Amino acid sequence: MPDWTGILELDAEERQGKTVTKNLYFQGAFKIMRPVYHQNSNQPCYYILNPGGGYLDGDTYRMSVTLGEKAKATVTTQSSTKIYKTPNTQAYQETELFLKKGSYLEYLPDPLIAYKDARYLQRNIVHMEKGAALLYTDILTPGWSPEGEHFSYDSLRLINEIYLDEELVAFDHIKLNPNEQDMDRVGMMEGYTHLGSFMVVSEKVDSQLLDLLYERIQKEAGDFKAGLSELATPGFTIRVLANSTQVIERIFKECHHIISLEWFQKEPSFLRKY
Amino acid sequence: MDNNVLSLFQLCDSNFPNGAFSHSFGLESYIQADRVHNPETFADWLEIYLMEQLVYVDGLAARIVYDALNDQNLDEIWKMDRLLTVQNTARETREGTQQMGKHMLKIADSIFDSPLLSLYKNRIYQKEAFGHSAIVFTMTGHYLNIPKQTTILYYLYSSIVSLVQNAVRAIPIGQTAGQKIIYSFQAKLEAAINKIEQLDEIDFGAISPGIELSQMQHERVNVRIFMS
Repeated sequence: MPDWTGILELDAEERQGKTVTKNLYFQGAFKIMRPVYHQNSNQPCYYILNPGGGYLDGDTYRMSVTLGEKAKATVTTQSSTKIYKTPNTQAYQETELFLKKGSYLEYLPDPLIAYKDARYLQRNIVHMEKGAALLYTDILTPGWSPEGEHFSYDSLRLINEIYLDEELVAFDHIKLNPNEQDMDRVGMMEGYTHLGSFMVVSEKVDSQLLDLLYERIQKEAGDFKAGLSELATPGFTIRVLANSTQVIERIFKECHHIISLEWFQKEPSFLRKY
Repeated sequence: MDNNVLSLFQLCDSNFPNGAFSHSFGLESYIQADRVHNPETFADWLEIYLMEQLVYVDGLAARIVYDALNDQNLDEIWKMDRLLTVQNTARETREGTQQMGKHMLKIADSIFDSPLLSLYKNRIYQKEAFGHSAIVFTMTGHYLNIPKQTTILYYLYSSIVSLVQNAVRAIPIGQTAGQKIIYSFQAKLEAAINKIEQLDEIDFGAISPGIELSQMQHERVNVRIFMS
């Protein structure tokens, strides 16, 4: 086992209709706050902190979240993930999510900001049991450089592997390599600066829900380009190209809202962060 | 003349009935958005499609499958069959690719006496596999003793040729312009082969956002001549 810069293990379970922490362990540059039950809901919201303030050259982070049967939780970050320059070794994060039967996880990290000359690899590996549901989002920004130029980082790679009853049912690998590629070109970012992904895997997904989401996205104002499609397993991906985090967040919030109302007859909690 | 090469050529023929003529893999979305409208803009898209999608998906899969065939590691092949299918987040492209794979497999299996092609066909029939042209083509190339790089090169070449022919019909561009693009892609195909050789397995399926988005958007395109 490598010497992790930050490690975090969270285990939550359902007790009499309420999801509570069963085990919690963290060490190094990962921290988690006491869960918040927004609006007295039974679904805790966990905020992950990176006390170091950002990922540095060669940093390695590992997180694992396990939800027991019927447990429901939201996991998010306290602020954006910042990747600083990595002159020698790329920064790496792996996240393993274990979702038992009937559980539901919303994993909604804040946008990723990669600084000049940064390289980052992220792997999310999700192990779901039949009847579990996952809602995941991520947003990639054009990063940060002292001169204010876009895409000054070297490379960002995000891999999502989703297993249902131990069988690979979805695989998603996004790679942005501004070091070698012209980001504005057709097929790449096409003149946009931000990329958002919204992924849902659940038995409850059907084409009617997709139509509903599509109609809602069509009504959104602003300059963006969006696509959505069903996965090879019940579930879907929404991808959005836009010029600001806010536009993507607004679209994702609307979609999240529709899903919460359809599935749980309630609105999603507002994630208070500051 | 090497008969084996001719046999593999047969699968590359643009008239080979694998259904490639009905799939644009997102190109039609760009045509409708007027982002691709002439030989230059089409060649630009085609280069990205080759270097960013075919290389990381079909090409790398072909390389891994060819090595697995040498090692008689069938599990690796079935793993790639699943990966090739589930990594495709755009439904139409995923289903179209699967159909094309099945068509090619059906014909290849009826022509060549390769037990592996029959096994692949059976697994698909038993719903233990999905079907993908890159695997069928690589199995055939390996069966015919065609070297790995040549097999992958022919596979990529045939993909490029069918996309050019679809572009000739859909944009439209002239037949001569189309042939000039095919000719100009020789160096790019060589670059693609070199890149595939250098990739690591973890590079598999790395896609570019625009390419994928155009494939997802095609589902909601109203007037269409292609199925993807």
